[in-house]
Amino acid sequence: MMAGLILFSVSCATLEKGLDAVSAVDSSDVEDAVKITQAVRKSFAEITEGEEYYIGRAVAALVLSRYPVYNNTSLTTYINKVGQAVAIHSDRPEIYAGYHFLVLDTDEVNALSAPGGFIFITKGLLKRCRNEEMLANILSHEVGHVAAKHGLQSIKKSRLVDAFKVMGETAARRYAPEEVAELTNLFEQALGDIVEKLIERGYDRKYEYEADKLGVKGAATTGYDPSGMAAFLQTMVDDSAGQEGKGWFKTHPSAKDRLGKVTKQISSIKPVPSEQNVRTGRFQQAMKSVK
Amino acid sequence: MSKTLRIRTLVFAILTILVTFLIAENLFVKVQSARLRKEPKFYAATIVFLKAGESVVKISSQGGWYLVKTAGGIKGWLHSSAVQRKKVDLVTMDKSLKAKASAEEVALASKGFNEQVEKEYKARNKDISFAWVDKMLAIKVTPEQLRKFLQEGKLAEFGGGP
Repeated sequence: MMAGLILFSVSCATLEKGLDAVSAVDSSDVEDAVKITQAVRKSFAEITEGEEYYIGRAVAALVLSRYPVYNNTSLTTYINKVGQAVAIHSDRPEIYAGYHFLVLDTDEVNALSAPGGFIFITKGLLKRCRNEEMLANILSHEVGHVAAKHGLQSIKKSRLVDAFKVMGETAARRYAPEEVAELTNLFEQALGDIVEKLIERGYDRKYEYEADKLGVKGAATTGYDPSGMAAFLQTMVDDSAGQEGKGWFKTHPSAKDRLGKVTKQISSIKPVPSEQNVRTGRFQQAMKSVK
Repeated sequence: MSKTLRIRTLVFAILTILVTFLIAENLFVKVQSARLRKEPKFYAATIVFLKAGESVVKISSQGGWYLVKTAGGIKGWLHSSAVQRKKVDLVTMDKSLKAKASAEEVALASKGFNEQVEKEYKARNKDISFAWVDKMLAIKVTPEQLRKFLQEGKLAEFGGGP
């Protein structure tokens, strides 16, 4: 026993203070434990899963205020199955409330992913896909944006710093009304930052390159032929004159640059999964009802 | 035994227990609802659902999965992306008391932008509907549906090969 005490090498004073601290614990201290002292946060990386989810909900609501939903149950179910297949093979398979996919009723060729896993794909983009491989690669790209938190990184740093200051050093369970008002102001501004990138200007090229890389990797790991991404980008290269400045065509870098990088990445994947007739068949079946 | 020795013995015992607690790796669920599964696969059967903030003890790990035991003694598999490690703070010698376990921290994970803020946002923006956001969340693919989809499509471990 004495040897054990020596091993810990604690001073007599410290031991006595420790004993005092332990004996002082009572129910009010346990109550106080809920008010947790922690350092003020500083970056997007410290946004919690739950916060990301609430940000994502609002971004999704804003997307849905701009585009109507293509309400086709069997198609939506199919898209969600493809989406889940690639999501579980992503770098972040489990997120707060999971990944969810919806089709938007527009002929614009676009796919959008909000933080928290709310992923949208347009009817226009779907019609460009020839098979499940192309669809899976695109969904894997969008999952990649979520997994790598590109949406959250779009929030201006100063906005985040201000929000974290309001949340403060001591996190109580509920905010006072004036704190809610101030946080909601910052929340609205943060949404604005994200929506500007997501819908209006497009992500910076580094995020698109990264999502392409993650998308190809995720699709191949799932068992999809990654050349589905190259094939889709080729359609964009071939058609850039027609769709310049909208949706997936709005992003920088150009489809040609992206195609070059993706092709190089695919050549390094060994072995490369191949397209399967059964998948093409079920894709065609799901697309039959799409007008 | 002298009084000083008794005090030292008692504190040593307390510290020993706390250190032992530290060594056991406690993990905390950080997603809204985590499936504790029979096997380390996303389509494996669910044993029980765990809520955000619940703590489990890690037993072993395998390819991104953890075999864990719940507080109720149930064993099963959780994916590493569903949980987080937290340091367990010893009772500090300062006057303020730090949380003795981080379950409370995890439970407060949405303490920033949270339900309260969303409610205020909705009140300010009545033209923005969340109806389809909630419908989206209701679209679920069960583990069995996922397994069948992967198997029929020759994906993942059911792959047809290059």
